[in-house]
Amino acid sequence: MTRRIALRGIVEGSARGPILPSREAISFLGDVDIRSGRVVGDLPSVRGRSLAGVVLVMPYTRGSAGAWRFLHQLFRHGNAPAAIVSGTLPDPSVVQGAILSGIPVACDPAEDPWPLLRDGAAASLVVVEDRAVLEIGT
Amino acid sequence: MDLTQAERDMLEGREGPARERAMKGLVQLGRAYGAPRMVEIGYAHIHAGMALYLEDVELMEELASIDARMAVPASVNIANADTVNWRATGAPESLARLQRRAAGAHARLGSDCTFTCTPYWAGHWPTWNTHMTSIESTVTIFCNSVLGARSNRDGFFAVYAGMTGRYPLFGYHRDEMRRGTGLFLVDAEPSGPSDFSCLGFHVGAAIGDGVPVVAGFARRPTLDELDALGAGIATSGGASMFIVPGVTPPYADVEAAFGGRDVPAPTRIGRAAIDAVYARYRDAHDAIDIVHLGCPHASWEEMKHYARLLDGRRIAPGIELWITASRNVRNAAAEAGLVARLEAAGAKVISDTCPMSCHFARTVSPDPALGVVPPRLRAVVVDSAKQAKYVRDMIQCPVLLTGAEEAVETACSGRFVPRGAP
Repeated sequence: MTRRIALRGIVEGSARGPILPSREAISFLGDVDIRSGRVVGDLPSVRGRSLAGVVLVMPYTRGSAGAWRFLHQLFRHGNAPAAIVSGTLPDPSVVQGAILSGIPVACDPAEDPWPLLRDGAAASLVVVEDRAVLEIGT
Repeated sequence: MDLTQAERDMLEGREGPARERAMKGLVQLGRAYGAPRMVEIGYAHIHAGMALYLEDVELMEELASIDARMAVPASVNIANADTVNWRATGAPESLARLQRRAAGAHARLGSDCTFTCTPYWAGHWPTWNTHMTSIESTVTIFCNSVLGARSNRDGFFAVYAGMTGRYPLFGYHRDEMRRGTGLFLVDAEPSGPSDFSCLGFHVGAAIGDGVPVVAGFARRPTLDELDALGAGIATSGGASMFIVPGVTPPYADVEAAFGGRDVPAPTRIGRAAIDAVYARYRDAHDAIDIVHLGCPHASWEEMKHYARLLDGRRIAPGIELWITASRNVRNAAAEAGLVARLEAAGAKVISDTCPMSCHFARTVSPDPALGVVPPRLRAVVVDSAKQAKYVRDMIQCPVLLTGAEEAVETACSGRFVPRGAP
């Protein structure tokens, strides 16, 4: 069974992959090793997990002016998430890195997705202009 | 977004593929942040293409190859190797060669390949109300707060803004953002860039991503001190702008800095808060390998000051004293005889990079073919809170923060001299 959740589209594109729900905000500068794609920051719900190819869902992004470069380096190393879903509007550096790397981004889900998220379940995100749909297997 | 005909022409590809890509990115960014329209920018401080990051120089080469060109005056941010004097830093030639390819791309893009974090000392001096963009947070905060220009803290899109001459109207381009959110009264007499860098680090941590109003100075801070203040604020927090009433255009006094809203109760900052930042970066160490001056890249005035401090002195055996400045400042200092005086004392004058930005960094992931091996440094001594933070985070070795005068004493004596030591 699948569920569809409407969101605000931020970066256009479409992607699919397994859901990786992070209870904590991730800073792409510092929390993630670009060589392995793994979370090395002190984030209990996702520490040690790889971001490569996942539909990453997190409550918000943690800001840093250098986030774009590390997100783009994840992409260059083949370790970038397939899509990013943030509870709130990500900071401009993350948006710039996602556009540069072709990673669709959405935020502000119309309903709380957390009860529906199962770690590793198949998901897809489609973003056209400012409209986005997250489809998740439950 | 409400776009002009010229902007639609770029968006729809009638101005070529490079501007189409750039405008598409800028429109998405503007839509995300609720920008009603674009503004015309007058200046861009853009990405270098960094040799220590995988395929990052190629990113700039690819833009040059599809005929991207800068539509406005553009300077270029710091790079990962001294492209002329790399041997003095111990960098492999392969890294310097790759970094020089970025310079070649910038020559085609039409950007001034300054490879510096202080383009203003190299002649890029945007004026009051100039909309601009910058990839370097220190440049953003200096231009907003000292010159009265209008800039966000940007990432790669500084390049896209430079290519189109446009930027979406949001953030610090709007009047509403350019007002104080907190008031700090300085109950101390900070003196010199290192004190101001510590003061800034303290203020930046307290204000987060707001706009600190910093008042109470016994005298007008120098340009070098204002530069250090901004670098400190932008390092410990997310701030893009500070207001020093009477200095930051157009804010004549504290009331003006809050734009007619109530002036909040002030937070007082005494000497102890400044000293606490020095103390924060005073790691245990066995020996010192490098003493560094020039973060952000030194001004001509700072080069003159360093030369006076080093006249008749000699760096202790086993220690390197690095002085980093843009190539423009280096060349002017060389013509004035300052570089010869610094080198006579044993100092190395390095351009295009700095300790945290060069091959010492451990958090980067270059092409393995470059053969970059970060050396194990026993300790680095610095006179900037910004460099101190990033030496610890990126080089991951012991770091010690002090004043410029004490850093020179450290380099000559071989023993760490803390700020204010007799």
